Amino acid sequence: EERTSGLYKDLHVYQLEHPTQVIEWTSGRTVCVAGFSPSKNEILELRLPRKLFADENKGLCAERDFKVVHGGFTDRPVRCLRHVPGTRCAVTGDGLSSNLQVWDLGGDDSDVIRRTGSIEGRRRRTGVSEGGSSIAARPSSPPQILHGAQISDVQLTELSSGQTLYQLESDSADPLSSLHFLSDAVFLAGCSNGNIYVADTRTSAAPQLSPPPPPPVSSGESVLWWTDASAGPDPSGCRVVRLSSSGQALVSDLRNLGGAVSRAQLDVQTRRCGPDDVRVSWAPALDDCIAVSGRLVPKATTDKMRTASKSSHSPLAGFSGAVQIYDASVWTSELQEARPLFEHRGHAVSPEQSDDGVPPILVTSHVWHPERPRTLLSAASDGSVHVWDWVDQSAADKR
Amino acid sequence: MPEIKVTPLGAGQDVGRSCILVSIGGKNIMLDCGMHMGYNDDRRFPDFSYITQNGRLTDFLDCVIISHFHLDHCGALPYMSEMVGYDGPIYMTHPTKAICPILLEDFRKITVDKKGETNFFTSQMIKDCMKKVIPLNLHQTVQVDDELEIKAYYAGHVLGAAMVHIKVGSESVVYTGDYNMTPDRHLGAAWIDKCRPDILISESTYATTIRDSKRCRERDFLKKVHETIERGGKVLIPVFALGRAQELCILLETFWERMNLKAPIYFSTGLTEKANHYYKLFITWTNQKIRKTFVQRNMFEFKHIKAFDRSYADNPGPMVVFATPGMLHAGQSLQIFKKWAGNEKNMVIMPGYCVQGTIGHKILNGQRKLEMEGRATLDVKLQVEYMSFSAHADAKGIMQLIRMAEPRNMVLVHGEAVKMEFLKGKIEQEFSIDCYMPANGETITVTTNPSVPVDISLNLLKREMALGGPLPDPKKPRTMHGTLIMKENSLKLVSSEQALKELGLNEHQLRFTCRVQLQDPHSDPDTLHRIYTHLKSVLKGYTIQHLPDGTVMVESIVIKVSSSAEDTNTKVLLLSWSYQDEDLGSFLSTLLKKGLPSGLC
Repeated sequence: EERTSGLYKDLHVYQLEHPTQVIEWTSGRTVCVAGFSPSKNEILELRLPRKLFADENKGLCAERDFKVVHGGFTDRPVRCLRHVPGTRCAVTGDGLSSNLQVWDLGGDDSDVIRRTGSIEGRRRRTGVSEGGSSIAARPSSPPQILHGAQISDVQLTELSSGQTLYQLESDSADPLSSLHFLSDAVFLAGCSNGNIYVADTRTSAAPQLSPPPPPPVSSGESVLWWTDASAGPDPSGCRVVRLSSSGQALVSDLRNLGGAVSRAQLDVQTRRCGPDDVRVSWAPALDDCIAVSGRLVPKATTDKMRTASKSSHSPLAGFSGAVQIYDASVWTSELQEARPLFEHRGHAVSPEQSDDGVPPILVTSHVWHPERPRTLLSAASDGSVHVWDWVDQSAADKR
Repeated sequence: MPEIKVTPLGAGQDVGRSCILVSIGGKNIMLDCGMHMGYNDDRRFPDFSYITQNGRLTDFLDCVIISHFHLDHCGALPYMSEMVGYDGPIYMTHPTKAICPILLEDFRKITVDKKGETNFFTSQMIKDCMKKVIPLNLHQTVQVDDELEIKAYYAGHVLGAAMVHIKVGSESVVYTGDYNMTPDRHLGAAWIDKCRPDILISESTYATTIRDSKRCRERDFLKKVHETIERGGKVLIPVFALGRAQELCILLETFWERMNLKAPIYFSTGLTEKANHYYKLFITWTNQKIRKTFVQRNMFEFKHIKAFDRSYADNPGPMVVFATPGMLHAGQSLQIFKKWAGNEKNMVIMPGYCVQGTIGHKILNGQRKLEMEGRATLDVKLQVEYMSFSAHADAKGIMQLIRMAEPRNMVLVHGEAVKMEFLKGKIEQEFSIDCYMPANGETITVTTNPSVPVDISLNLLKREMALGGPLPDPKKPRTMHGTLIMKENSLKLVSSEQALKELGLNEHQLRFTCRVQLQDPHSDPDTLHRIYTHLKSVLKGYTIQHLPDGTVMVESIVIKVSSSAEDTNTKVLLLSWSYQDEDLGSFLSTLLKKGLPSGLC
């Protein structure tokens, strides 16, 4: 505990009744979380504590708790939740089908989150790829949703009318891991096999495809990839980060997705991972910083574990419970090992406590605050949700 | 239908004061009698006009129960009992009874001396009020009168805080007061058995809050103290003798030990004596850890925490001091504050709410210039930190409590019903119970379904079972006949024969007879036969017999025919039936009065 006092400017730890796999900002001070159990789940809109935002008079503010401002029920798991900017609307996906649910998050006069409708996805090829849809909300109004489970399914639907405004012209069955709007009309689709497609909703031209770099020779498992694209005023200045299940990170320019501006071997790799198990994200307000969380294991340890015959405790537990922050500005075009700038280990079960039978805590999601440079929220499989504002030790050391 | 009524007293949407009226089984109970700390006028008192427009409350209330010593739960008690007027019993736990008057007196001093108020209760009123108090022990059933009984359960939260179980006959209510579902360093967690009350009353604010962990709060506290000490500053922590002070001391002692810190920590002696005194008295109210520690040593024999002498306040260098009173309104903590306020390296940490009018309240509102006695101004340059350590339940906690107690209905007070639809739905869905949210001043009525236990005689039971039919299903009600005897306090169901025997009564049979005149030009036997035929065609499905002794029987009803002495065509029918066949008998007499139809052979 005394170590953490130097590591964090703010640290808040909460326990939800049920774990969440989604954290989505609905305003500068509110987030939505939701359960993912197979049947009954709650969707909650939580208001962050005043103390976090009371920058000048922080000392006089004692309020440290989450307030549940709105809540609703769903009878499906919520694997994906997107807020439609400028509205009180959210769209959810259950990770099983390509159909989405549309919700009204409620106003001042009621605390109920109500389902207002659904969006039908299309599936050109069924049965082959499972997994639900990825969702992205178009930044402008009227509210439109880009969604799909694989490249051939991607479509843009207008929320109010349900009308399909655009469909991505491609036969590819590449399963999606994420969708990102780079501008009002241009979007990027990241696939779990590492392919990246860039398309424009104004044209029906085929999307531009960029494959990932070839996989390392040693890997026996197929490589999975996760992607994030940095937002910015100018889409051409946008950068894309790709993270592989072997821990390789690539930063590319939108203008040249085939090449890599920089790369690094992160101190992680994944074990028996699914497409939903890892999150990688650019910091919206902190240059060149990337956060990584999910079913990750430190690379060094896995190598050690292969050689070690017996181990009295499981160090595995520590790492799928962590969120790591990397500074990509120090990466070069040569593949080198990178150490995280910061590691939030609060969710992890400590090695002394974990037994072999207990599954390790998995960080299910993380998000950066849209404006506060070092504030993040992270959620884990034990129902914990943390809000933390970390101290950049390297900057402190340079003083 | 039997019902229980719940009314939170107060106006509008205001929270911050607890005073709830419950009507159960003909008894009226007041739960808590809190003061609203945000108002300066009569709005701070609960609105007793709901109970009676004028006059004393004694005749209208069977008892008053106070859950714990916080002013928003007991602050209006002396006003209620001595100024409005109530002479009945006031129940509270032993620690609450010991600590309440101290807080009330402090509060009175601030309000009257500092703020110059006149219409407020006096010291004598506090004393007179406390004379009416009957103390409660945990888990001990107390008979308020022949019908009303109450029982206190451990609530955590603060020393002596209780949840209260109220029972009249087979109806019951549990009021939680303020409670906490996770143990802390000096108190255990709330606990209640599966008492299945008709209503569980709790605060709605809990249900919509998800609390930051205790660890984070403690981390923040330690960080602030450490930073101040590191820069050579002094930390003042104004506390009340009991409660958070112990938590924070234990926390600092452990931290100092681990970090090998050398700066002195002081605890003013008055505090130590009082605290030890109360802890000795109420050791059973603390948690297991404290009890173990206390057995081994004095509560305040810490390695790093020493007794304070007021000259130490002038010593140079870093230090931490715990001093009373908690709101900086007088005494030692205020003296120290005056000395240290001018230095920005120093810090004051307020661990709880401060009443209006106190220095604590002013600095927590950001005031940096204070007017002191004799027109002197004090520049507040030290760092002011407001930290809330009070232990409350939250959304998860309230669900846990409902699971523990298994109430049939839920009542949440102090919330805006319109904004609590989700919460209501959640409780209703998860537990299949109704959730009510009365506004202040609004009464909700909950219909109860009390079960009345009755002994059944073995003979009657055997007889019912011998009747055959499908095997009895415990979930399906089955109608049976018996006589209910209420003797003393017991209820017994016996067969009618047994009841008659026990009561020394004879069984009587009631038979009705009636004469109906009929014009019929036939012989008596023929008329009888015609009646028989007529009835057979009308009363299908009934047992109708034409007996050789010259009667017709319909079920148990006997019909005889004889001729009138004056005229042989005028027949007199004699109908006779037992009470059991009253309906059929009446029907027959009406039918036969209409005469026989002509088409009969």
